[in-house]
Amino acid sequence: MTAIRVSIPSWRARGAVPHLLFGAVIFGTWEAYGRLGDSLLVPPVSAILAALYDLTLSGQLPSALLESATLLAAGLSAALVIGFVFGVITGRSKVMHRTLSPFFNALFVTPTVALVPLVLIWFGFEFQGRVIVVFLAAVVAVLISVHAGIRDAPPDLVDVARSFGVDSEIGLLRHVLLRAAVPLIMSGIRLAVGRAVVGMAVAEVYLRLGGIGALISGYGAVFRTDYLFASILPLPIMGIGLAALVARIERRFQSWRTYASEASE
Amino acid sequence: MRTTEELGGAGVAPAPRPANLVRRLVAITTRPTVILPALNLVLFFAVWEYVGRQIDPILFSPPSRVIRVFGELIISGELLRATLVTVGTLAVGYGLSVAVGIPVGVLLGRQAVLGRVVNPYLDAIYATPRVVIVPLMILWFGVGFTGRLFLIFLGTVIPIIVSTAVGVRDARPDLIEVAQSFGALGFHVVRHVQLPAAVPFVASGLRIGAERAVVGVVVGEIFLELTGLGGLIQLNAVRFNTAEVLCSVVVIAVIGIVFIGLLDALERRVSPWREAT
Repeated sequence: MTAIRVSIPSWRARGAVPHLLFGAVIFGTWEAYGRLGDSLLVPPVSAILAALYDLTLSGQLPSALLESATLLAAGLSAALVIGFVFGVITGRSKVMHRTLSPFFNALFVTPTVALVPLVLIWFGFEFQGRVIVVFLAAVVAVLISVHAGIRDAPPDLVDVARSFGVDSEIGLLRHVLLRAAVPLIMSGIRLAVGRAVVGMAVAEVYLRLGGIGALISGYGAVFRTDYLFASILPLPIMGIGLAALVARIERRFQSWRTYASEASE
Repeated sequence: MRTTEELGGAGVAPAPRPANLVRRLVAITTRPTVILPALNLVLFFAVWEYVGRQIDPILFSPPSRVIRVFGELIISGELLRATLVTVGTLAVGYGLSVAVGIPVGVLLGRQAVLGRVVNPYLDAIYATPRVVIVPLMILWFGVGFTGRLFLIFLGTVIPIIVSTAVGVRDARPDLIEVAQSFGALGFHVVRHVQLPAAVPFVASGLRIGAERAVVGVVVGEIFLELTGLGGLIQLNAVRFNTAEVLCSVVVIAVIGIVFIGLLDALERRVSPWREAT
């Protein structure tokens, strides 16, 4: 009892009351509209939750999510590694930058959706083709941020490191350049995560072979709107959750960064 | 965004006088920022041509074939028709997003509580890939223009709303106070203080919105209604006409580049007192 009493003012202090009120209005209206109006077009919230419960219990949603997550993890990690390596190379070498940038720029300005049919023809409709879609969606965001972060690293830091005997390229990268580039790199990774989720969804919806995308287009095709909403729901949660995760990691680096900049001043 | 432009190499040079044009052109083309990518592209196309001729033409088209197909598509008018459909939808959808997004953004920026309360929902919609709501669009609007329009609108309006709101909210309070002490009404404060202060934010929202609008129009044309350039991609992809697909992809990329370029030019005009980035 006391615990509840204590927790109410702390909610209020965090400004939760307007959130709760607004949420109640939104979801209340939604529920009422769904019940009174055409529940095929707008299923009531309760029906969506029931569908979500059913999909989870039957194992359909978990297994689809697992398949999608595997695809996302494979494509995203490939994008992170390759984007990072090429970002470092183009950030350190002007010649490499000028040689490679037209290709990466072309890839960056082309919407991944438009490439999906082509990529799948070339690399197959199996897991491999789908991974490449996710990879292409995410890689340039990583590359550009790593490139920009390393290129714009403060030259005085490099000079100081050199005068303290850090002379090898690897040493410079490890001790100075990459650390200075952390904020930019993290923002690039956040962008890449969002794009990778989109790439994953596009590849799966296009193929209708497996994962959450197939679940969605399957229920869409038979007009089961409640199940449709229930299977769409994990995607924004996944996107926001991953972005929050990246932001957390970023804050950890950030705290270290404030410390470093204070020390350098 | 500055980074992508710089990756592009050639910066925006001030317009040269005609007399210097030739000399400037020579100087520009022999610059390493130009010559290296150019040589590299030549090499790339040469390898592609060579490899393309070795591989099964069903899977892979050498550039010579892509160019020939491009010519055929232009002569038949197919490409132009598709481009007009795509650009038309893009223009209407983007215009609608701007017309709704900026006023709503101003409102959410001025009403702090409302802005805070609405934000999670905007985030959730923003984080949902638009392909997965295509079935809903079909259900709600049918297979047609309205559904495709809504796909663009949904992705584009949110970044415009959010960044306008941030810009309006962060306008310097001292300037607002000065304006109010001179008797400015709410409308005047918005018009003369908050909106000018928000210009860079609005511009970045417009730019993100533009990128998303291009994606949205293609999603609509591939997944919702087979029409425009997206339709051209899909119809040819199922027949394994990779050259036709490539041509359409290139046109879409060019539309995106021109779109962003126009926005940049507009931003420089709207905020001449700021240094263009």
